[in-house]
Amino acid sequence: MTELTPVRDLLMKPVRAGLLGNTRLAATLLRGSNRREWWRIGLTGLASLLATVFALMAILVASITWDTRLQSGTEAMPVADRYSIAVLNDPGVRPGFAFAIAMLLVPVLGFLAQTTRVGAVHRDRRFANLRLAGATPRQVRSLAAVEAGLTCLAGAVAGLLLFLGVHALFGRLQSGRVLHWPSDVAVAWPAALAVVLAVPLAVTLLSVLVLHRVVTSPLGVVRRARKQRSRGFYVVFVLCTAGAYVTVQVGLQADLVSAVFPVLALVAVVLVGVGAVASASAFARSMGGALLKRAQRPDVLIAAGRLKADPWASARIHGTLLLVTVAGVILVGVRALILSEVDAYGANDDGYYSSGINLIAAALLVATVIALLALLTGTAESLITRRRALAAQSAAGVPQAVLRRAVLLETALPLAPAMLVAGVGGVALYVAYGGLMGRPLPLLSSLLVPVGVYAACLLATACTLPLLRRALHPAELRYE
Amino acid sequence: MTPSTAPLITARGLEKAYGRTDALRGASLTLGAGEILAVTGASGSGKSTLLHCLAGIVTPDSGSVRYDGKQVENLSEAQRTELRRTDFGILFQFGQLIPELSAMDNVALPLLLAGVRRAAAHQQAADWLGKFGVYGQARLRPGEMSGGQAQRVSLARALVTGPKVVFADEPTGALDTLTGEQVMTTLVQSARESGCAVVLITHDAQVAAYADREVVLRDGVVKADEPWAAEHFSRAEVRGND
Amino acid sequence: MSTRHVLLGLLTAGPSHGYDLKRRHDERFPQARPLAYGQVYTTLQRLVRDGLAEVEGTDADGGPERTHYRSTDKGSVELAHWLGEIAPPAPFVTNDIFAKVVVAILAEAAGEPADPAAYLRAQRTAHMARMRELTALKTAPGADLATVLSADYALSHLDADLRWMTTTAGRLAALTEEIRNV
Repeated sequence: MTELTPVRDLLMKPVRAGLLGNTRLAATLLRGSNRREWWRIGLTGLASLLATVFALMAILVASITWDTRLQSGTEAMPVADRYSIAVLNDPGVRPGFAFAIAMLLVPVLGFLAQTTRVGAVHRDRRFANLRLAGATPRQVRSLAAVEAGLTCLAGAVAGLLLFLGVHALFGRLQSGRVLHWPSDVAVAWPAALAVVLAVPLAVTLLSVLVLHRVVTSPLGVVRRARKQRSRGFYVVFVLCTAGAYVTVQVGLQADLVSAVFPVLALVAVVLVGVGAVASASAFARSMGGALLKRAQRPDVLIAAGRLKADPWASARIHGTLLLVTVAGVILVGVRALILSEVDAYGANDDGYYSSGINLIAAALLVATVIALLALLTGTAESLITRRRALAAQSAAGVPQAVLRRAVLLETALPLAPAMLVAGVGGVALYVAYGGLMGRPLPLLSSLLVPVGVYAACLLATACTLPLLRRALHPAELRYE
Repeated sequence: MTPSTAPLITARGLEKAYGRTDALRGASLTLGAGEILAVTGASGSGKSTLLHCLAGIVTPDSGSVRYDGKQVENLSEAQRTELRRTDFGILFQFGQLIPELSAMDNVALPLLLAGVRRAAAHQQAADWLGKFGVYGQARLRPGEMSGGQAQRVSLARALVTGPKVVFADEPTGALDTLTGEQVMTTLVQSARESGCAVVLITHDAQVAAYADREVVLRDGVVKADEPWAAEHFSRAEVRGND
Repeated sequence: MSTRHVLLGLLTAGPSHGYDLKRRHDERFPQARPLAYGQVYTTLQRLVRDGLAEVEGTDADGGPERTHYRSTDKGSVELAHWLGEIAPPAPFVTNDIFAKVVVAILAEAAGEPADPAAYLRAQRTAHMARMRELTALKTAPGADLATVLSADYALSHLDADLRWMTTTAGRLAALTEEIRNV
């Protein structure tokens, strides 16, 4: 037995693999992982690339110093614009525009939250196996951190390179006096580097937090039955909407609009969004419960069962969409309001206002696309995770059409009331803002926003149906 | 001894490959009405693939499966789905229940698919659950039951439509011996009562012993469609080897 | 199996005569070979000789004269001792099937007309047939516990045989090779 003692001594020592060791181990484990894990890594990288590009764009816009009016000496007379994008010429609205670009980070974060879940079941099992094999929670957590951190660092660096490339390309191509891209502004290197480091750091922290539950148990995640009162979430929603309303009212009355408006808008939108997410899960739960009792059709029954069993799954997927909807409702309303205001004053520079608002609308459209991407990822992931159960249903003679409708209903059922709530919340904020103007408020176009987003969501869900077809393949019965 | 009846399922020369792996290489067998047939063989001998071909879950690369006057491999996917829903019952080792639905709804599902009203479907589901001693678990979801209870619920779901054949793939694979024995006894007794045939895939001789007859698969070919079985066979009639 | 201890055990229910003991034995061990009356008689006499049982009395009841036996205190001690005794787990590995397979391999390697693989297949078929019979017995509606227990016992042993035969069938080539090379 004596010759065994050194090994034993070695084992008793606390293992400190360090960053390099963890990286090596993470790389080894990843090499053997399946396609879904690579999807997670790819999509997470993409999300971090988007986050980096948006943050860098916001910084770029914020660091423009050009002021149209100062050019003519003491007279505040507008001279020729330097940029073709009107808002970039005006130092008064530039911070607001930079802020709007920065707000794109919100849907990107929602997207990131979805991408980190891709292949999560497999990864959780891998980590639980590591725990069984004797890894400490700390080791597993640092492994996860290394994996997420490196992925996001790669995405962030790629984002930086893309941004610098585009910036340089515009600098080379733009020879005229009017610039389409502020390529004359130097990249603020300290800020850019901070972004490239901050994005991976934030994601790493997030992934470690999410993993907390997994790494504590070597037997994998134990799903506890959540027993929450659903009524609480309606209260949260009412409080949030009321809070948002008050925020806007106070802001307007204290005449802080111009200075603090972005902050107020952020608080209001986030409050309504949180309320919408919370009530979305409450709706999903109670709707699932009610339908589960009464459903006569098997597709409704299957969808209702899933809603009731995991109302947060839908709330998680739809959260960002609700935020986008709230913002969209307000924006469309305010746009109509401002344009009619401009008309009333008979001002001739409505191109200035409309171009600015359209720019924000374009940003919101990008946000919507990202949110739909998150929906797509979430739905696809849920299909892949459930594929064995789905294949078993198909084998037992449940028609594919029934399962297809169940998947669509799973998105359609909880999203309808959530969209209604988001629409109502958005209109409330819009009315709070526009009511001060004492003019008839155009409502119709605002109300079309939730309908449009809803249709887009159904379309995105329908895009995952080919995946369902593959999940139903009998070969899926052969594996766990 | 009653005179031989026509076979319920006749499979001839089934071949099926997954990629470069040949799962079946010309397997043939017959299943009599009401017969309980065990298909045994080592892991990877093609047992599950044979069951999938017989039940019309997959289409064989070549060969034919004849059921009730129909060539199963010539049916459309929709027709085969309907066949599986109405004439066949499917029982896997685990995981054929929808995890988000209660035992009651899971058993009622095939009836709902057939257009039965929910209340009537629940009535029948309750009868089956009671018969298999799991009525007390009717409101629980699969994850909240023991393996044996879940398997009895699965059995109730497989039998609720009154199928002609139950296809069972390692139905006791995830259970301990005693629980597995209870599930097997329930399966065999219900099948005998309703005159339903059973194709039983297993690697366990004690489970295979519940059958009237056994065929052994080796390397994707049926090695012993035991011709002497007819002599020992007293409960249901089966045609011997052609 | 120790017939004297089984009879001692049956006597714990109260005094009994030879024929009654035989009947009860066959009832409790339904799948065992039925006890011959002569064997019961000689075993009882030996029990009396060793002081483990004694004659309670005789009655005729209009029929043939029957001797009643009952267990003594010494008999109870002996029974308790036997019940607590561990049965040696497979002290010698001897079995007909095992011996046949080994000899068949040797004979085949020596060029004799023997086919261990065919033997194993035939034996497997016979085992399965017996297992089906026993399973049918124990799952028949109204099967009593004694039948279920004895069928279970036999099934487990047949299953063990089967598993050994299956692995041996898989090893035949290697075994034959080994014998030829020696």
